[in-house]
Amino acid sequence: MERVKAAFEDFGRMLFFAVEIFAWMFRPPFRPELILQQMAFIGVGSVFIVGVTGTFSGMVFGLQMNYAMKQFAAQGYVGGSTAFALVRELSPVFTALMVTGRSGSAITTELGTMRVTEQIDAMETMAVSPIQYLVVPRVIASVAMFPVLTMLYSVLGYAGAYVMGVYVAGIPVGPFLDHTRGFVDPDDIYHGLLKALVFGLIVSVITTWRGYAATGGATGVGQGTTRAVVVSSIAILVADYLITFAAVGA
Amino acid sequence: MIEVIDLWKSFGENRVLRGINLTIPDGTTYVVLGGSGSGKTVLLKHVIGLLKPDQGLVRVGGVEITKLEGKALTEARQRFGMVFQGAALFDSMDVYDNVAFPLREKQRGHIATEEIRRRVVEKLKVVDLGEEVLPRFPAELSGGMRKRVALARALVSDPEIVLYDEPTTGLDPITTEYVDDMIVSAKQRLGVTSMVISHDIASAFKVADRLAVLYDGHLAAEGTPEEVRQSRDPYVQHFLSLWFEKQ
Repeated sequence: MERVKAAFEDFGRMLFFAVEIFAWMFRPPFRPELILQQMAFIGVGSVFIVGVTGTFSGMVFGLQMNYAMKQFAAQGYVGGSTAFALVRELSPVFTALMVTGRSGSAITTELGTMRVTEQIDAMETMAVSPIQYLVVPRVIASVAMFPVLTMLYSVLGYAGAYVMGVYVAGIPVGPFLDHTRGFVDPDDIYHGLLKALVFGLIVSVITTWRGYAATGGATGVGQGTTRAVVVSSIAILVADYLITFAAVGA
Repeated sequence: MIEVIDLWKSFGENRVLRGINLTIPDGTTYVVLGGSGSGKTVLLKHVIGLLKPDQGLVRVGGVEITKLEGKALTEARQRFGMVFQGAALFDSMDVYDNVAFPLREKQRGHIATEEIRRRVVEKLKVVDLGEEVLPRFPAELSGGMRKRVALARALVSDPEIVLYDEPTTGLDPITTEYVDDMIVSAKQRLGVTSMVISHDIASAFKVADRLAVLYDGHLAAEGTPEEVRQSRDPYVQHFLSLWFEKQ
């Protein structure tokens, strides 16, 4: 019972933290150089891992769809169904999970270490808000870069599926591309990008909070990082369900 | 002037501060002595508004700092510099950026790069460090050098008040003496008011104009170093005897 109460208290404090982030976001001084730095770390730094994951999952999805469609002699639909799955579902979710593992864990560790070594306290004593200086740039950068990385994932995933479908499975290029145009419209792309944006917000708030609230030295930072990754991953999947349900219904 | 009036603070069942009263006149160095876990750092963090008391208040220059929030608290903190126990230098910045940080942030856009550099070099000189340390990162510095950089950072924006949290902990005797001299010199040369939290009796008696001994959440003794030395409180006598009997 005590643990449940503590979990709710922690969740409540995180919500207050999120409100503070929002409030500090619009107060000067603005620090674009810190936002760009974080965009480079979260975005550019994740290009390799997101690119590799996107390419291989697209290749696998292309092969699996080819295997399934072959039963109905409908291999021309491989391109369309792969693209549809990628832009609406696979890209935002897998991108968010990969970036959580890479950048989210690093954010929690960095802020947690700064907390337990009193660097955050030091910043406060220098009349600088740590939320504005450390947290806001990470949240803005995440919200901006998650959709960009999601698009990259979709493009490379589709390229992987194209190579497998057209060059390995021998599907004609015409039906492969035609059905893609037929299956995927701009609304599907917006749906995936909306998810990416929401995931960016959720992951950045959770990972910065777990670092900001870290206690207890190196062990506390380690536990905070583990919790940040686990809670973010679950939150991504729950939010994915809620957005999908809201968009397409039962 | 810093006034701490009837300050109480608990963490759960642990009552750390129980009715602390003290006054620090401008331009003096006030040392709070006490054993590990006696609540010295908690007291210091109340003075700069990092913690809120359960009861009581802290006034700095007539402003009740314990009541302030947000922007008002941020502005009030501009009068302070603080040296943390572990130096608390920013790992991701080199020495130059660490020392320049308060200047850049407090006077954002209103101070030239050349002026920042001049003041950083000047304050590093006060703590006897040359320009060769500017590109080094905290991980490349010794404990003593980190403390000195932390002091330079605390002094760079010419604060009225400097707070020191265990400034000599973990230092060798020569560096300890050096840090003591720096605290005295900061007061004499820059006229700052200093509050030092320490368990180092020798250092405390060297730098203090006034001194207090914190025990079990209250001040067991308070006064000039000589008055505290003459205290009849059994804990104070025992605490001080551990060092004075060695001399």
